[in-house]
Amino acid sequence: MNNWFKSGSPWVWMSAAGVTLSLISVLGLLWLIASRGLSYFWPSEIHQFELVDEFGKASTVIGEVYDRERIPVKQLNKVKLDLKPGQETIERLLVKTGNRELVSLDFRWLLVPQVVKHSQPEELVVIERRSNGNFYGYIEEVVLDGKVVSLEQLDTLLTRVNDFQEEIRELQKVDIGAINYQLERLRLKIRKHQLDGTYTADVEQDIASQTLALNAEYAELEKNLMALRDKVARDKLVLRAMGGEKVEINFETILNVTYSNKLSFIDKIGTFFKHLLGFLFDDPREANTEGGVFPAIFGTVLMVLLMTVIVAPLGVVAAIYLHEYAGKNALTKFIRIAVINLAGVPSIVYGVFGLGFFVYMVGGSLDQLFYPETLPSPTFGTPGVLWSALTLAILTLPVVIVSTEEGLARIPASMRHGSLALGATKAETLWRIIIPIASPAIMTGIILAIARAAGEVAPLMLVGVVKMAPTLPLDGNFPFLHLDRKFMHLGFHIYDVGFQSPNVEAARPLVYATALLLVTIIVSLNMTAVSIRNRLREKYRALEH
Amino acid sequence: MISVNPDLISNEQDKLDLNNLSDEQKALDIKNLNLYYGEKQALQNISMAIPKGQVTAFIGPSGCGKSTLLRCINRMNDLVDICRIDGEINLHGENIYNKHVDVAMLRRKVGMVFQRPNPFPKTIYENVVYGLRIMGENNRRVLDEACERSLRSAALWNEVKDRLHDSALGLSGGQQQRLVIARAIAIQPEVLLLDEPTSALDPISTLTIEELINDLKKQFTVVIVTHNMQQAARVSDQTAFMYMGDLIEYSDTNTLFTTPSKKKTEDYITGRYG
Repeated sequence: MNNWFKSGSPWVWMSAAGVTLSLISVLGLLWLIASRGLSYFWPSEIHQFELVDEFGKASTVIGEVYDRERIPVKQLNKVKLDLKPGQETIERLLVKTGNRELVSLDFRWLLVPQVVKHSQPEELVVIERRSNGNFYGYIEEVVLDGKVVSLEQLDTLLTRVNDFQEEIRELQKVDIGAINYQLERLRLKIRKHQLDGTYTADVEQDIASQTLALNAEYAELEKNLMALRDKVARDKLVLRAMGGEKVEINFETILNVTYSNKLSFIDKIGTFFKHLLGFLFDDPREANTEGGVFPAIFGTVLMVLLMTVIVAPLGVVAAIYLHEYAGKNALTKFIRIAVINLAGVPSIVYGVFGLGFFVYMVGGSLDQLFYPETLPSPTFGTPGVLWSALTLAILTLPVVIVSTEEGLARIPASMRHGSLALGATKAETLWRIIIPIASPAIMTGIILAIARAAGEVAPLMLVGVVKMAPTLPLDGNFPFLHLDRKFMHLGFHIYDVGFQSPNVEAARPLVYATALLLVTIIVSLNMTAVSIRNRLREKYRALEH
Repeated sequence: MISVNPDLISNEQDKLDLNNLSDEQKALDIKNLNLYYGEKQALQNISMAIPKGQVTAFIGPSGCGKSTLLRCINRMNDLVDICRIDGEINLHGENIYNKHVDVAMLRRKVGMVFQRPNPFPKTIYENVVYGLRIMGENNRRVLDEACERSLRSAALWNEVKDRLHDSALGLSGGQQQRLVIARAIAIQPEVLLLDEPTSALDPISTLTIEELINDLKKQFTVVIVTHNMQQAARVSDQTAFMYMGDLIEYSDTNTLFTTPSKKKTEDYITGRYG
């Protein structure tokens, strides 16, 4: 026994146990969010339940089963149930019933003992809609311009409507958006001329004629839009809901009609990927509880890229100065410690700093100097994507500095001496030898910074992230990249959908799916970092004497 | 007894009088050089003239200051913060420690090869032409020519001519050291400083480098530091023996190894210490 202790085996076993524990928790976490997140995209079957409640009243419930749980009987003291003696718990189901025009709640709980009949009729459909959530029921009639037509025409009509919808979206977002943008610029131009005292009759006439032209264009587009809307609203679908009510649904609100119970496995896989692509590339709907997260992905990536562009040169230059040029004295030692400690400051503190310094001070001054015509409504003096990127750049600066300095310190002195002895100056040596050798370390630092920044939410809530941004920070209107705009972010999206949503049950799977997406992005970034580091070790192994 | 290169003995009639070299014969003239690391004095009043087109070896026990003296010649000691120097080293009659001397220009004239091969993590080709690129030479033809010429001079051309664009780190230690020599001579220095160039190499590579040194003196003045006395005897024309920061004896190699005039030299070369 004593020998066993001396051999060091207990420590080996303890380390192994520690590693196992960490691995299990990481894998468990990934498994949890992956399974919950991905099941959100899998088409679930539609169930029909016949119920008889405690008063003997019969009813039908149609919907998707979201959750099931066991509850103690005591909790249901008002409900009379036929229970086996000694039975203490009963099962209940959470069913998504949709049909918001009939019942205000999307979800309801069913007590399993009250279910007398359970079936999955193939004729049941789920209709995904642009507003009002899902509808579950039976299709009664397809009405084409007032006339009833056969069910086979459903798909063609649906395609037609969705094509028009796409056109409408394009018209609204791109064309009408551009005109509104130009009108706003003209308004600001007038304001600027008034402020400068150069609002002469010529200018007034010029602007008035431009405005007139734009308004005419707008009227034209609006007419097109109205025509399209009419076309879209031509057809209707008549459905029977679970209570037997007839409901008319106009095609303009319909996204998809799916016979979920008829789907084969292959169809289900197809639907799964359709949902997945929709999630990745569509705009959110219904207070973010439905639809996709594209603006959030876009915002996250754009903000992180901006941050990288800011942090990389700053961090590298700071590290080079500290390591190569600054004297080795108490001051540099202090600065180095301060930089390392900066990495430990809670991120919300950076948010407060960003709000106070960047948004109010820098942004406010910019507005005074360059955008007086828009005041009192701020341009840069309000949270936006630029300030978010800057705040995160400061937050991640220590990561880049520390990792670059480590890279510089790892370079053998013989490299420097070799270059200097050939008549290179210190700057030439840095530029031609040192920085190339240190570049993988610099890259590692940058990617670690990206990984850190992509997952950061708290400071962003103060300096630029919003629940719903009407426009992306990048569009077709000059100057294309609008750094002053607010943006959406995956991390904040998780928080918003999970905790600020009006429809918590519906949002829950979305939280997992978004979390999975965020984790996937960050994990892939870290994988890149690891592979770059490995390549660095491979390439420069010969240097490590 | 240490054997002396027979070439040197046959050249007996050309033997230089090291104490009375004419200015044309001098490559370097070191006068009253003192060097301090902080409080500690590492070189004491060194004066010597290094003749042109010859191989001069510095020998002595570890810590005697021979490498320090070598590093003074191209001012590599400037990189050591606590190092302080007085005295003169004259190159073309000008003190290299004058304030207005451009250190980078000086190092182009006085090249250096270190104890351990230190090729840059670039291709063989880029290693060789590095010094030329620093000087602003980007003409492909000039670079190609210089690369071939230097590699031939360094007796490496035949081994690497088919893989000039492979990484230099893939070469063996001996090849790397010759590559570093090629890199140093590509910029046509006047003086080549070799700081124990073979101490990290195997005997065969050492032999190749020693043969190379013999060839190099046709074009350059070579100063070599070594702790291997046989090596000094084999390759050098002049030898300086240093001990504890003092230059004890400096004369032609043959004389120093056969009839040393100082007791300390004799003790060292007969192996009594060191």
